[in-house]
Amino acid sequence: MSRLRRMFAVLAAVALGGAILSACGAGTTRRAPGTVLAVGAENQYANVIEQIGGRYVTVTAIESNPNTDPHTFEASPSVAEAVSAAQLVVQNGLGYDSYMNKIESASPSASRKVVEVQKLLGLPDSTPNPHLWYGPTTMPTVAGTLVADLSALQPAHAAYFRARARAFDASLSPWLGALAALRSDHAGIPVATTEPVGDYMLQAAGTVNLTPFTLQADIMNGVDPAPQDVGAQESLLADHRVKAFVYNQQVVDPLTESFLAAAKRAHVPVVGVYETMPTPGYDYQSWMLAETDALRAAVLEGKSTQKL
Amino acid sequence: MKAVAHALLEPGFFSSSQVHVAVAVGAAAAVVAAAVGSFAVLRGQSFAGEALGDIGATGGAGAFLVGVGPLWGFLAMGSAAAAVMELVGIQRARGRDLATGIVLAVGLGLAALFFSLDATYHPTTGATQTILFGSIFAVPGSTVAPAIALGALALAIVVALHRPLLLVSASPELAAARGLPVRALGAAYLLALAVSVALAALTIGTILSTALLVGPPAAAMRLSARPVRAMVIAALLGVGAVWLGIALSWDSFYWPPSGHGWPVSFFVVALVVVFYGLAALPRAWRSRRCGQRHGAPGQPPTMPARGRRPAVGG
Repeated sequence: MSRLRRMFAVLAAVALGGAILSACGAGTTRRAPGTVLAVGAENQYANVIEQIGGRYVTVTAIESNPNTDPHTFEASPSVAEAVSAAQLVVQNGLGYDSYMNKIESASPSASRKVVEVQKLLGLPDSTPNPHLWYGPTTMPTVAGTLVADLSALQPAHAAYFRARARAFDASLSPWLGALAALRSDHAGIPVATTEPVGDYMLQAAGTVNLTPFTLQADIMNGVDPAPQDVGAQESLLADHRVKAFVYNQQVVDPLTESFLAAAKRAHVPVVGVYETMPTPGYDYQSWMLAETDALRAAVLEGKSTQKL
Repeated sequence: MKAVAHALLEPGFFSSSQVHVAVAVGAAAAVVAAAVGSFAVLRGQSFAGEALGDIGATGGAGAFLVGVGPLWGFLAMGSAAAAVMELVGIQRARGRDLATGIVLAVGLGLAALFFSLDATYHPTTGATQTILFGSIFAVPGSTVAPAIALGALALAIVVALHRPLLLVSASPELAAARGLPVRALGAAYLLALAVSVALAALTIGTILSTALLVGPPAAAMRLSARPVRAMVIAALLGVGAVWLGIALSWDSFYWPPSGHGWPVSFFVVALVVVFYGLAALPRAWRSRRCGQRHGAPGQPPTMPARGRRPAVGG
């Protein structure tokens, strides 16, 4: 009898604890009245949603820790809650944030608008480089879609969203100008990378990435690299055959660290690049401009910018 | 000779610094694993070796968290686990697998935690693959010296203690009656085992390290009943498997679809299994001949009692 009662007491305590915990969880997404609840799977997308939606959106970024690798990100219950409550979601696609698809199909909603940047750009699943936000045409396209989606959710503010999108597009011009200047004046500059994170930017800047793509993909995917590729990369750095070493600060292992050391030994300037927007202090366009300026400083002046 | 090497090996093999490191670390790991592993097989501690290897994953994952080389993680966690196993009671045959199993379970639970923390708070990507399945071509050159020094230490322990260790392994009661410090010997041996497993984990990964530890000694014991000779054969087989595995992995880069090599660990483990299978041939052939001559299949003639103790304790 007393044993049964004790069991009930324990069960009650557990249930109460669970109720308190879930109440806490529900309270974490606080939404300003009259705003669209939006989620950006990576903080650069969240930043663009914020820039277009302004005071009519409440945005949550899922991945924003500059010290982790988004490729290995594991979603937690609070992420699931934020996504299932969202009316508007922007995610990268190409398997980069596939946990988003799982959460979305686990909590189906007819009214939720999901922008998958891969599909928006019409890229096939076999696209080898998922780091789409480094491409100069990506975010203007995303911004255009956001205007349409936000206007559908809040038709009264369509003109406001359009105006903000125009301002966003205009604010990208210093970055696009910097890319164009590098491409026209110094096309074909050889560089090396650890990982394809910044490759779309490097292409837009007219540089030539001499690191074998198999090595970049192996490091990105956490696969044992071939010794031939490792040797090729080491000689690129040791023989100073590249003008810059573009180093992904968010995908680091003993191998990338040994490349970094080799680059420093050979006085190859280093440019740090990121999987998610480094915060605080940057928005999307100032981040991209800072990366391009760092690349320019590396290839023209031999100056390292290991961390932004 | 050179022409043969060039026919078998794709270009650049001998000039690659990754190959140099792999060959050095791999050979050290194979030699030490052969010597230490022979005792593991004799003592019926294959499961303990396997467990220490798996627990190395915990150390490796922890090493990524604190930012040191995985070798130090393998070593620290392996020694700690060996000490716990010794304290919990690995020396008694009955409690041995229990103690090993419990330590293994706790270790792997911690590994799950550390891998998750790696992924959540640290910019590591290859951690899981590197630690579980090995990444010998990505081992930095600075690891060669400590790896060889550690290997020498483990080898020194088993060489210095090989006589009492053999006696303890064959008959703990007799050894105790002769006044040998059975427990201290066991502890020293477990330390050597932890070092050996750490080196093997660096070469072919924590999950597969047991292949290098148990495979060559088991094959060698099929070829020779004399413990010391079996250890030498095991070392040759182990080094052969590792070096051939490295060469095949190098060549596989040029196999279709070209530009993507196969992992060294796969080749090493496959070769170890092949060696183990081939090692049964001389004995099978001999016993068939004995059978024809005498009308009944006889026992293999030279196997002493201690060689027939249970080979796998797990």
